[in-house]
Amino acid sequence: MFLLLPFDSLVVNLLGISITVLFTLLLVFIIVPAIFGVSFGIRKVYMKTLLKIFQWATLRIERGAKEKNHPLYKPYVNGIIAKEPMSLEEEIKEIRRSGSGKALDAPEFELSDIFYFCRKGIETIMDDEVTKRFSAEELESWNLLSRTNYNFQYISLRLTVLWGLGVLIRYCFLLPLRIALAFTGISLLVTGTTVVGYLPNGRCKEFLSKHVHLMCYRICVRALTAIITYHDRENRPRNGGICVANHTSPIDVIILASDGYYAMVGQIHGGLMGVIQRAMVKACPHVWFERSEVKDRHLVAKRLTEHVQDKSKLPILIFPEGTCINNTSVMMFKKGSFEIGATVYPVAIKYDPQFGDAFWNSSKYGMVTYLLRMMTSWAIVCSVWYLPPMTRQPEEDAVQFANRVKSAIARQGGLVDLLWDGGLKREKVKDTFKEEQQKLYSKMIVGNHEDRSRS
Amino acid sequence: LSCAQGAHPLLPLFFPLTVTSEQIEHLHRRFKQLSRDQLTIRKENFDSIPDLEFNPIRGKIVHAFFDKRNLRQESDGLADEINFEDFLTIMSYFRPIEMNMDEEQLDRFRKEKLKFLFHMYDSDHDGKITLQEYRNVVEELLSGNPHLEKESARSIADGAMMEAASICVGQMGPDQVYEGITFEDFLKMWQGIDIETKMHVRFLNMETIAHCY
Repeated sequence: MFLLLPFDSLVVNLLGISITVLFTLLLVFIIVPAIFGVSFGIRKVYMKTLLKIFQWATLRIERGAKEKNHPLYKPYVNGIIAKEPMSLEEEIKEIRRSGSGKALDAPEFELSDIFYFCRKGIETIMDDEVTKRFSAEELESWNLLSRTNYNFQYISLRLTVLWGLGVLIRYCFLLPLRIALAFTGISLLVTGTTVVGYLPNGRCKEFLSKHVHLMCYRICVRALTAIITYHDRENRPRNGGICVANHTSPIDVIILASDGYYAMVGQIHGGLMGVIQRAMVKACPHVWFERSEVKDRHLVAKRLTEHVQDKSKLPILIFPEGTCINNTSVMMFKKGSFEIGATVYPVAIKYDPQFGDAFWNSSKYGMVTYLLRMMTSWAIVCSVWYLPPMTRQPEEDAVQFANRVKSAIARQGGLVDLLWDGGLKREKVKDTFKEEQQKLYSKMIVGNHEDRSRS
Repeated sequence: LSCAQGAHPLLPLFFPLTVTSEQIEHLHRRFKQLSRDQLTIRKENFDSIPDLEFNPIRGKIVHAFFDKRNLRQESDGLADEINFEDFLTIMSYFRPIEMNMDEEQLDRFRKEKLKFLFHMYDSDHDGKITLQEYRNVVEELLSGNPHLEKESARSIADGAMMEAASICVGQMGPDQVYEGITFEDFLKMWQGIDIETKMHVRFLNMETIAHCY
């Protein structure tokens, strides 16, 4: 027992010293640069090192697999079945032509017509555009995270050791560090904005508020080890405008807000989120809605219009898609934000899935699980493009304008421009879409029928 | 199901084709997605496929999955739920043709596919497609068009049925009543149409080496 005592105090001392050192390092290398908005470039070096390690790992897997003659599986982003490129009309005509040998326009309806729809139906049952968009995009090389790997098995001892080391680093070193940073960032935000809120309105308050917000978002960015590249910063949103971006995860807000000062729009939540929101609004006018108000579209539009028309107020940050998509496509933009009549500043955000998948499938993971996954990934790497501002032309309506903005964002980010409504993940298809295919077919049949009865 | 080392146990369903274990793995993943990780699928699970709503005969296609005649079971009627093996059985009706099939295999292949389509028309399982059943199919196919009157759809169906009758029975006397299209008549109507080369879903060619930078 007595022999343990000197060791005990030694251990305690060591612990104390290492924690102090850690916090000093934290302060110097992470928090101070965040306050001033400079960067040492540590994260970029980290990213390059990781890339080299991933390449090595993938090469090893391939070599190991070749030695053992074990097939590897390349996941498919484009779907698993070959869809026929012909249109409905062409296909049906071809079936009929190969059949009875009658004149093409004579028969009105053939028994074989059913076959086309049958096959299309089976194709969609086998593999479907929309549902694919809602699961995490599949990678083509392994990034040492077992959650993205369901194909690669235990190939070699070295690789498994490497993976184990990766787990250790991520969970025992990076995770506590990140949680500490996140905690610091959020508490600074809450206290900072509350304090600034007590100041009288004026230039001083604005200046301080801006810097408090920016500082805390930058700390949060470092808490996620987000490595962001901003392009075309001269197009950044200005006062009185609306900033519109595609939405992949809740992190989008942090990424954009760490480079610019925005007014947020959203629903007031309870819990920690609510505390943060209430504190933020003391320092600067964000637009928060009660849950009941969110349903009232006119009220929402009115408040946003008022905000936008006041040129002293900040640009609003809006994500028109309404739900998280998995970053390979941009779904239908809801027209509400485009009816307001302000200048729209589109922003495209594209994540590199190699280092960590930022996609939040809200029907599969809760917020806390999602944040934990984020904090145990290697890093979040993304690119942000600020596109030139757009305004609604006189001859287009809100929907067309929304689609134009959406296409610009999709093109810039290298994303696929889809017509589908992001709300599909939870709701069913709107009836208007149902009619398209049926109308086309019946037009074909009835057209022939009418021609015949006329002649 | 994890990636097995040998042949997949459900491969024989696709005999004599060379469907790979990989393709079955993909279908299994799709099955799990549709069933939300349960072991069986019910009709409601097909509601989660948005693209299927496009399809006018959606009801008939989903119905076909649960039709016991298609599931190669001895009994008749509808199943309440199907497991992965049943799912694969239905998918096997859409397997593509292979180069090395002989005449007899081709013929059996073709008959199977046509039987699947026949069951889609013959909703009361009596082995005949009656005028009413034919009308139902036509109406469903044309149902999306709100401008189309029921009368037009009906007359189109009647006209088509008359033609079918003339092919199958030839000239009918004034008192003869055409009861319905039997499977043999159905086969006659599809003569010359290469259904076996068209009624399939083809898997994309899958390479098996991992990508590398």
